[in-house]
Amino acid sequence: MRRKLKIYLPFTSNELKRQLSYKGAFYLFMLISLFGSFISYYLWMAIYGNSESGVLGGFSKNEMIIYVFMVYVTSSIVTVSIADWISDDVVMGTVSMNLIKPMDYRISLIFRALGSMLYRFLAPGVFIWIGIEVYKVKVLGMDFPNILSILLFILSCIMSFLIYVLFDFCFGMISFFTTHIFGMLLVKEALLSFLTGQLIPISFFPESLQHVFDYLPFSSMVYTPVMIYLGKYTGETLCYMLLRQCIWVIILYLLGSLIWRKVTKRLIVLGG
Amino acid sequence: MEQKNTTFKRYFKLYRLLIGQFLKAIMQSKVDFFMGLFGFFFSQVMGIAFLYLVFQQIPTLDGWTFDQLIFIYGFAQIPRGIDHLLTDNIWMIAWRIVIKGEFDRYMLRPMNLFFQVIAEKLQPDALGELLVGSILIILSISKGIVIIDIWHVVLFLISIIAGALIYTSIKLFFASFAFWIKISGPFLQVAYDMAEFAKYPTEIYTKIIRFLITWVIPFAFVAYLPASYFLKADVSATVIGIECIIAILFWCISYAFFNKGTSIYESSGN
Repeated sequence: MRRKLKIYLPFTSNELKRQLSYKGAFYLFMLISLFGSFISYYLWMAIYGNSESGVLGGFSKNEMIIYVFMVYVTSSIVTVSIADWISDDVVMGTVSMNLIKPMDYRISLIFRALGSMLYRFLAPGVFIWIGIEVYKVKVLGMDFPNILSILLFILSCIMSFLIYVLFDFCFGMISFFTTHIFGMLLVKEALLSFLTGQLIPISFFPESLQHVFDYLPFSSMVYTPVMIYLGKYTGETLCYMLLRQCIWVIILYLLGSLIWRKVTKRLIVLGG
Repeated sequence: MEQKNTTFKRYFKLYRLLIGQFLKAIMQSKVDFFMGLFGFFFSQVMGIAFLYLVFQQIPTLDGWTFDQLIFIYGFAQIPRGIDHLLTDNIWMIAWRIVIKGEFDRYMLRPMNLFFQVIAEKLQPDALGELLVGSILIILSISKGIVIIDIWHVVLFLISIIAGALIYTSIKLFFASFAFWIKISGPFLQVAYDMAEFAKYPTEIYTKIIRFLITWVIPFAFVAYLPASYFLKADVSATVIGIECIIAILFWCISYAFFNKGTSIYESSGN
């Protein structure tokens, strides 16, 4: 175990260092993605202003404010797009180097993503989170969440991270078959922002669609941790949601291994 | 007069030649082209699906119906698409051309510099924007919510051209910073993405943001404000007039700034 960590931890620290060296651009990009949150914020304020009932899709106005910004914090931490790296590796041919080294390509990617995740958590994530908390208590007059729900939120985020990264690994395998992954990445971004609840809470979707989503991994990526944070899941539902995340981690891990085995077989044929 | 005419002819011919070369390059990667187009198209559809879900909850948003917002959304895409199609190479000034010293080659040719920059590339991804925009506008017209008479049609055409010019001016202005700071891409990106705010009625924002997107980085004049003229009979045509004035004003400022930048350009070695 310790030997393993010694092999893979440098991927994490390298990624952290790499991110730190491009701070300026990074903050500007974060600012841009915050635009989106502010647009949603004002849009939702107008929507609640125009609605006769104070509760929409199970959210009160104040809860929606927290939702909009916590979704931003959560997704900026969780959604580390490793498919981009895989596609780079394949296009540049460096993936063959990764294959001949005595290590697991996927694990190395996950550790690299971990570096990215840690950086995003430390850099803007945690500060915006504190900002939200201060706003929540001072302006909205709501209570601090208790320690337990914060811990559960973090636990859920870690699983979300694994689900996202493992899913993205499977997705990135497309780049072994076609070099035209750019358009696919656009489609993925658009689809995920919708299905993970980043654009709009999943409770706004028609019932029938929500049932379909129950069998897909996407709501476990961002929606579940934020709902846990908001205290929307309690008791049995909470356990069920965490269990579902666990199961998705396992399923996507196995699926990834399966696809990887098929893909590398194909590569051997081509290389021979 | 004769002189001017031949200059124009010469530039027109050159543009055709340069774009012809570029189109040949595009044809080699058709799959890329269609994937990009599809990806873009799809992300727009998601934006509309979002609006649709929201309007399941409320009848109108500050007096605007779902159909009207769809028109604004679609209308916003047209000037954006035109600018994206024709002047996409401006981005490269911000990110690459200046810092790599590639601007040298423009300086060496006896042609207008701005012309050379935009003539180098057509961006076919923009067809996604134009396609989504056109579909939504046609849909809106078929629903009968758009005012159609000769004035509105003429002003519609003027408005999208002025809108595209506003986009180009904003891009050129922020890209020109690269002549001083070498890479201005991130700033350009921030400014460009402000356009996202203008997809919705600006009344929903607080005063500062409204002021910012109306008068400082005037994307409201590209999308929401002119679109409202085509939707509501009580909106006066002066809004299109102001749009044109802003377009010309911003263009003059940006172009002067770009010229100033090229005059102090120093090659980083190529």
